[in-house]
Amino acid sequence: MTMGTVSPQAVQADSPRAVANKSDRERLLRAIQMALSIESPAVRRNTQTFNRNRYRATGLLPDYEALKDHARQIKEHSIRDLSQLIAQLEKTVRERGGHVVLAAGAEEACRYVRDVCVRHGAKLVVKGKSITTEEIRLNDVLEAAGMEVAETDLAEFILQVADEQPSHVIAPAIHYSRERITELFKRKFQTDLRLDTGEELTKFAREILRKKFLHADIGITGANLVAADTGTLMLVESEGNIRMTSLLPPVHIAVVGVEKIIGRRQDMAPFVELLAASGTGQPLTSYTTFLSPPVDDPPFAMPGKPRKPREFYLVLIDNGRLRMRDDPVFRETLYCIRCSACLNSCANFQTVGGHAFGGETYSGGIGGSWEAGTGKLENARFSELCTGCSRCVNQCPVRIDIPWLNENLRHRLNGAAETFLASGILTTITGASEKDQSAPASKLFFGNYHWFAEWGTRFAPLSNAVAGWKRVRGVMERWLGVDCRRSLPAFPEQTLVSATNVEPLPHTEQPLARAVLFADVFTNYGLVQRGLAAFHLLRKLGVDLVVSESVPEGRAALSQGLLQTSAVYAQRAASLLDHYLDEGRDVVVVEPSSLAMFRRDARHLLENQGQFERLRSRSFEPVEYVANLIQKSARSPQELFDLGRSPVGKRVFYHSHCQQKTIGCAAATDTLLRSIGFDVVTSSVECCGMAGSFGYKKDFYELSMAVGEDLFQQVRKAEEDGGRRALLASGTSCTEQLHAGMNREVLHPVELLAAIVRPRVGIGWAKTGTLPAAHE
Amino acid sequence: MPALIDAFEANARGAAATVVRMAASPAVALALVLGAVRDSRAIVLDPGEFLSPEVTEALGYLPGLVRQPSDEALSTADVGISSAFAGIASTGSVCIAMGPPLAAAASLLVPLHIVLLYADRIVERPRDLFNPTCLDGEGLRRNLVLITGPSATADMGPLVRGVHGPHRLQIFLLE
Repeated sequence: MTMGTVSPQAVQADSPRAVANKSDRERLLRAIQMALSIESPAVRRNTQTFNRNRYRATGLLPDYEALKDHARQIKEHSIRDLSQLIAQLEKTVRERGGHVVLAAGAEEACRYVRDVCVRHGAKLVVKGKSITTEEIRLNDVLEAAGMEVAETDLAEFILQVADEQPSHVIAPAIHYSRERITELFKRKFQTDLRLDTGEELTKFAREILRKKFLHADIGITGANLVAADTGTLMLVESEGNIRMTSLLPPVHIAVVGVEKIIGRRQDMAPFVELLAASGTGQPLTSYTTFLSPPVDDPPFAMPGKPRKPREFYLVLIDNGRLRMRDDPVFRETLYCIRCSACLNSCANFQTVGGHAFGGETYSGGIGGSWEAGTGKLENARFSELCTGCSRCVNQCPVRIDIPWLNENLRHRLNGAAETFLASGILTTITGASEKDQSAPASKLFFGNYHWFAEWGTRFAPLSNAVAGWKRVRGVMERWLGVDCRRSLPAFPEQTLVSATNVEPLPHTEQPLARAVLFADVFTNYGLVQRGLAAFHLLRKLGVDLVVSESVPEGRAALSQGLLQTSAVYAQRAASLLDHYLDEGRDVVVVEPSSLAMFRRDARHLLENQGQFERLRSRSFEPVEYVANLIQKSARSPQELFDLGRSPVGKRVFYHSHCQQKTIGCAAATDTLLRSIGFDVVTSSVECCGMAGSFGYKKDFYELSMAVGEDLFQQVRKAEEDGGRRALLASGTSCTEQLHAGMNREVLHPVELLAAIVRPRVGIGWAKTGTLPAAHE
Repeated sequence: MPALIDAFEANARGAAATVVRMAASPAVALALVLGAVRDSRAIVLDPGEFLSPEVTEALGYLPGLVRQPSDEALSTADVGISSAFAGIASTGSVCIAMGPPLAAAASLLVPLHIVLLYADRIVERPRDLFNPTCLDGEGLRRNLVLITGPSATADMGPLVRGVHGPHRLQIFLLE
């Protein structure tokens, strides 16, 4: 992957460690540059492999959804009862002859471990992979006390040799290609051995580490879960190093965050398969161990070493976790089982990995909450790289709404900033909530885009001309962070609302269905033709359809962390739509992100959950709605649509919108197009990289285009067999991204359907009835 | 039951283990294990409690068997033989109960790990081990390891089998 956007000087300047702490924006941008120029190819290959394997492995679990519900429930109960569980676990471990301590902070935890090691006269400590010990910086403390600490997980071994922080929670050296490991080992170990294959590298490391295992005084591991009733640790791994670390040395220390405690060993059952499937995408990894230490069998002793009795120490880490538990929003973070599904399913993460999309220890979608919770809020600034695309939401085995956590982090970071004059002005003119006025101007601009769109449209085409001036774009880039290289959506001369205003009211006797087309901001003031296509198509099919007034629904504000503003907008839009729902109308929304607000996000923003539930179950994407109508009418798609009329031929490439996929209405388009007879290739990328406003931002333009490259490549590949395919996309920003990458016209599927619908098909349809409710 | 055994076999192969189905007789066990350990110099045997005394006795005739090995001898053994507490059909895993002195070493420190599993100890899914009515609830009381294929890593770039733990996993399924 060559992006060609990074200067070589910047690359030399930054090691991953130098940009690990991203509490300021400058380092975040440098980290993105570093990752794009060095780490991106390996990260992309490895995370995308994990991602594909996860889809396959979870698909093989017959009760995947029920398993997730069960796991979620166990975690909810465990965190609720955490104080009692800690006390119970302490008692269990002591009764079994082990030692246990609850450490309030990193320093206390490290001091305790160090003192145990010193008391045992330890010279050599072996460690299994433990991200929690990375969090508390344990190695530094042990090494300062004169001990040798050997990381035995091969990824951690690489990081120890390279002196880098983890870039992934289960594959900490995921940013290293084989070639770079060879180079690193050759340089650091000054060896002439052949290290040109994975086998040779593994053998090299194994021989070093086997000696350490056999002679270690102490073994330190983490744990995936701990049961309070039996003191059982669940340890998941592939290499065998955690088994050796916990079984060979006489002293075993387990360092475990308190959130890993669950009530009963029995409760581990759903996690065994879920964790492996969600993490590496395997039915199980090579070793899943259930150990209630101290174990009975004697520890290993090489000749000359006294055979010591076994000892076990459990070090429970608070380090901010109990404070997170008291936070109504960030409590959810503690349900995390560190599987990495949210990292691997994230398009931005796939492109830059955890050295850019991550802090000093934790990375990816859930990483910001961990960094803020176990450290400082500012350390979570990298969570800006969460675009809210929501692809991780259905992948999380414990159903954490990760975008919502990141929107809250953004909100708190906005609140922690000073209020600037520009922000105050923007708050006043756009009607945003005053509580959000400490947000940066850029966020207020993107979050209140509807205001600019409305005024821009009022003065179109003059406004388009003005917005095209270089000087204006320069000001917009400097003040609002809108990248000059992006073309801005043109303001239409006529909005969807005004264009449909002149249409006569439809016949209302025996309509197939009654609906309102919600005039979302991006359709009403942007790609009006999509709204018009949906309007004419639905009416032609026999829907009694009206168009609502255009109001923001709050999705844009939410994505900028303007939570109060978002709640005000969501409430206003929901009240507007209530009126139509009362009339028995369904809600059809062209822009998938606006629809996602009604189907998903508004649950956090509307006070009345009944109001949300009704809106959620009656809101539809236009093609999904058409597919439902066809199903209800018992007519075949070919009867209604004539492939021969297609203005773009038969071959199409369809890219669905990320949030559309999450709310379960992407497949409908693909299925309908195929059943009409189109030759469809569907993109398999998680997100196009534009993700609403993300790709428009100057700070993230290069990253956005790098993410888009996967999509562009899929288009090129789909056309390799000869001939073009018409490009179809359901989202406004996906359309812009595809257009930017391929420099071709991009249609909404509904535009294509409107062009091929047979005349007068709506006549003589079945009676009005209730349509199936929307998927969650 | 045959469906469980078939699924176990297929999934264990999918996890890069080798599986041989055999009659549960001492002579057959000895003959097949002999074939598997042909070039080995040092073999450690952890009969565990799940192997019939007759099979255990037969395996005692293996040439190269190190009786009561020192820890040093364990660390250089070529082959470890253990008996499985259970097998898991959906994942092709063998489950080893730890506790007896050789159980961990015989399944961990050796390049070749041989497991003898009685077909009637195969359960359907990993979660069954947490069911108090399954295998007399022993799955909830013991220290266990579920072993799914040989040790492996993707940390060095491509997938490599054989890291710290065994490089090969050979399962003999006793029917």
